[in-house]
Parts: sequence; structure tokens; C-alpha cells
Amino acid sequence: MRSKYFQYTSWCLALFLLMASCKEEPYEVPVPKDALQNDCIKRSLGPNIVGSNIEFAYAMALPATKGKLVSAQVEASIAGAGTTYLEHRSYYTDGSGVDVGIEIGTPSINQGNTTTVNFSKDTNAVTLRYFYAIPEEARGKAVSFKFSAKSSNGESVNYSMGPYTIAKMDMALDIPVKDAENCFISIADMKAYNATDAAANAAKIDIVYLYRAMSTVAFNHSFVSPGTKTEYLPGVVLPPGVNNISKISRAWALRDNNLARDKYGIYIDDIDFQQLNIASAPDYAINLKEEAGAWIETADGKYRAYIYINKVNNGSKSAVISMKRYTMK
Amino acid sequence: MVIKQYDMKRYFNILALFLFTAFAWMSCSKEDFPVDEDGLLITTRAECYVSDFQLLGSDFQTVLTAKKPVIDTTACTINAEVQYGSDLKNVYPQFSLVTDAKLDPKITGKVDFSDLANPRKYTVVSGNRQVRKTYTVYITIQQ
Repeated sequence: MRSKYFQYTSWCLALFLLMASCKEEPYEVPVPKDALQNDCIKRSLGPNIVGSNIEFAYAMALPATKGKLVSAQVEASIAGAGTTYLEHRSYYTDGSGVDVGIEIGTPSINQGNTTTVNFSKDTNAVTLRYFYAIPEEARGKAVSFKFSAKSSNGESVNYSMGPYTIAKMDMALDIPVKDAENCFISIADMKAYNATDAAANAAKIDIVYLYRAMSTVAFNHSFVSPGTKTEYLPGVVLPPGVNNISKISRAWALRDNNLARDKYGIYIDDIDFQQLNIASAPDYAINLKEEAGAWIETADGKYRAYIYINKVNNGSKSAVISMKRYTMK
Repeated sequence: MVIKQYDMKRYFNILALFLFTAFAWMSCSKEDFPVDEDGLLITTRAECYVSDFQLLGSDFQTVLTAKKPVIDTTACTINAEVQYGSDLKNVYPQFSLVTDAKLDPKITGKVDFSDLANPRKYTVVSGNRQVRKTYTVYITIQQ
């Protein structure tokens, strides 16, 4: 009797296995929809900073038998700055790895909030890049985009992207600083002044840059508040009236992608400045290295900034810095 | 000889009962793993010392000079030299302790070591929680 049960179960199992087994389907090329279609992706990453671009890739296509593309248009909720454009070339990569552009339309025309490209060559499928130059008017606001395409058979499609928040902060790249020359850094102006100009802008000078090669201690490249203890300003003659005390908090391994323009995918955004707490930070930071950074809060609390050291040069006692600045009030 | 069905059933029942009692008897009891108020295991070790000391600044890089900190486990002192210009108000101390020991008070974030006249004290508690040694951290600034 037991063997009979065994027989029944094995037959059942075999039957179930047969029914549940995988069937391999031969590959078939997908059939496209018989209509004009579009798709869009945002290509730029990180915070949207005024003065830089938001980049998109907009693809549009329809079956060749139905017709060709006539025009492509982008409408932004806040008009982009003058350098906003929709690409009028279609690119392919040649054998040497170089991107070659083929003109398929007339250069884009900006009218108010819209950017338009009219096609001049017969094409039924193309991807165009759109570069939105973030205007000052958009600072702190949200921007949305509506991409649309028209074809010769009267069809039109559109694709909405956004809303994207534009950062409130500012950015200045590659400011050269040199010991005893343009070493007076102003966060308000995002510039480095020499002694004469510093005297004229005394209240705006937040940090003094200096380089000292000492045998006993490591001083090297440093950011020091003008109003700090004189021991941290060895051999520095401050112009009259330059005496602010800023809070300076050292940072390391914070290679912001916008400032460092290196391979690290870390971005400092508005929220980092809003949540920054360096109330107990000292008013100096000595012995800073290349790729180091410092969080700064100005004496009047008006600005918070992050200064990144792009390059240092011990021989010429200089450095190149970049900064992101956030206006608190 | 044919094994009848009810004999097999009886056999399996007795076997199951036997296995159950064996496992129940062998299970771990709470008394084998005593745990203190922090949820850490209390062991039998009585050793109680600091083996290494590190001090990190607000950029999480060390503020100590190349001289290694001197740890005297008899006198219970740690002498560390920090770099000139270090901000001692915002440092992260790191103590390496002997196996199973813990530190009191707990270090939860930045610590202020700037008051050189009143050096900070930390108590090491041994694995068996019976031995307590208080270490004093003396900081000197490189000149």
C-alpha cells in the first residue's frame, strides 16, 4: 500500500513539472506605436545654481511612413537667460570617438519663455539637447519645462519635466589668492583683494590668506580672520579697519563636485548652509592642504560659505580657491 | 517479519518525545550570558586599561603631532601633544580599550578639551564590571 502512494505522488509531480516548465520565446523586434512619440531625461546633476545650465535630452520619433518631424519647442515656466538654447544638430560618434554633429534644423530661437527649433532636413527620429541657462529671476524658485514636438502629418506630442528648485546660493570658481598680495578675501564680493583695495572695503574683508613655512610648527596655507590673535597673523600688516572675526571650521574629504570639478559625486546644497552649526568654531584654520575646505560664517552672520582649495603652490606662496556662498539674511 | 502500522507510529512518537526533552534540556539559559545596563556582555576579564588614544579635529583628521601619546597604565595618565593651532573646543577623542572594557562617560560627539588646567578624566570599566580605573588626559600644545 505504501508503494502505491509513492507511485501516485511521483506521477503527480511529473505532471506538474511538465506544466510549469519554462518555455523559451524567440526574440522579436518590438513593433513601434504608429504615432509620434517623445521622451525626455534630465542630464545635469546636483543643485541648480544661477549662472549654470540645466541640461536635458529630448527624444522625438514617428514611423518613417507617416511623415517627418517639423519642429521642436521647449517652454520654461521662467524664461531662461540669453544663452539658453535647444540644439539644432543631431550627433553621432565617429570611429575616433569624436561626436560629430549634423545640422537637422535652424539654430534655436528664444522668444519669451519658449525656445524653438524648426527642422530643415527630413528626419523622423532625433534626440536634441536643451540647455536652460538659469536666470537670476529664478533664484530660490521652482522651474518647470514643457517639451513639445510637431510632425508633418499634423500630430503633436508634449512631455512635462520638473518642477526643479533653483538654489539660492552663489558660486565663484578659481579665485587666485597670493600671500601678501591679493590675500584679503571678501565673502560678500566673492573676491580676493590686495592691501589697497582691502582698505577701501575694510568692512567686507572676512578672511586673510597667508602662507608661512615654519620650522617648528606646521603653519603652511591658512585662512585666518583679520581680527584673530596676532600669533596667527605672523608678519601680516592689516590695512586699517580690517578686523572682522569670522567663524572658520575646517573640512576634509568634502570635494564638492561643482567646486572641485573632480570625480567625486558630492554636492553642497542650500540645505547644508541652512543646517550648518559652527557657532563654536575658531576664527582661524592653519595648515590647510590642497583639496581641503573650510566652512565660513561671516562676523555679521549675513553669509555662510564653503571655500574649497583647488590648488596650492608652496613655492609661490599662493593658492586657487573656489567658493559657494549662501545669503542667510 | 512485517512491521505493523501502529508499531511504527508508536516508535515515531517515542522518538519525538525523546528528542524534544533532549533539546529542551540543552537550550541556553539567560544566566549563561549576563548583560549590563548598556546591553553589553559581562565577561570574566578583570583587565582594565587604555591601549591607545586618538584625537580628531572637526575635519576628522588627527590633531595629534607625530609624537605618539604616552599612556601610563599604572599612573592612569595619557599625555598627548596636539598640533599648534588645533581647535581643542571641537575634538573627537577615541580611546582604544582592552577587550570587553567600556568607557564612562560615553563619548557621543564633540568634546571640549580646551581647558588645559582642568584635564578631562575618563573611567575605564573592566569586562567583569568589577574594576574601575580613572584616566586623566593631559594635553600639551606644540609650540
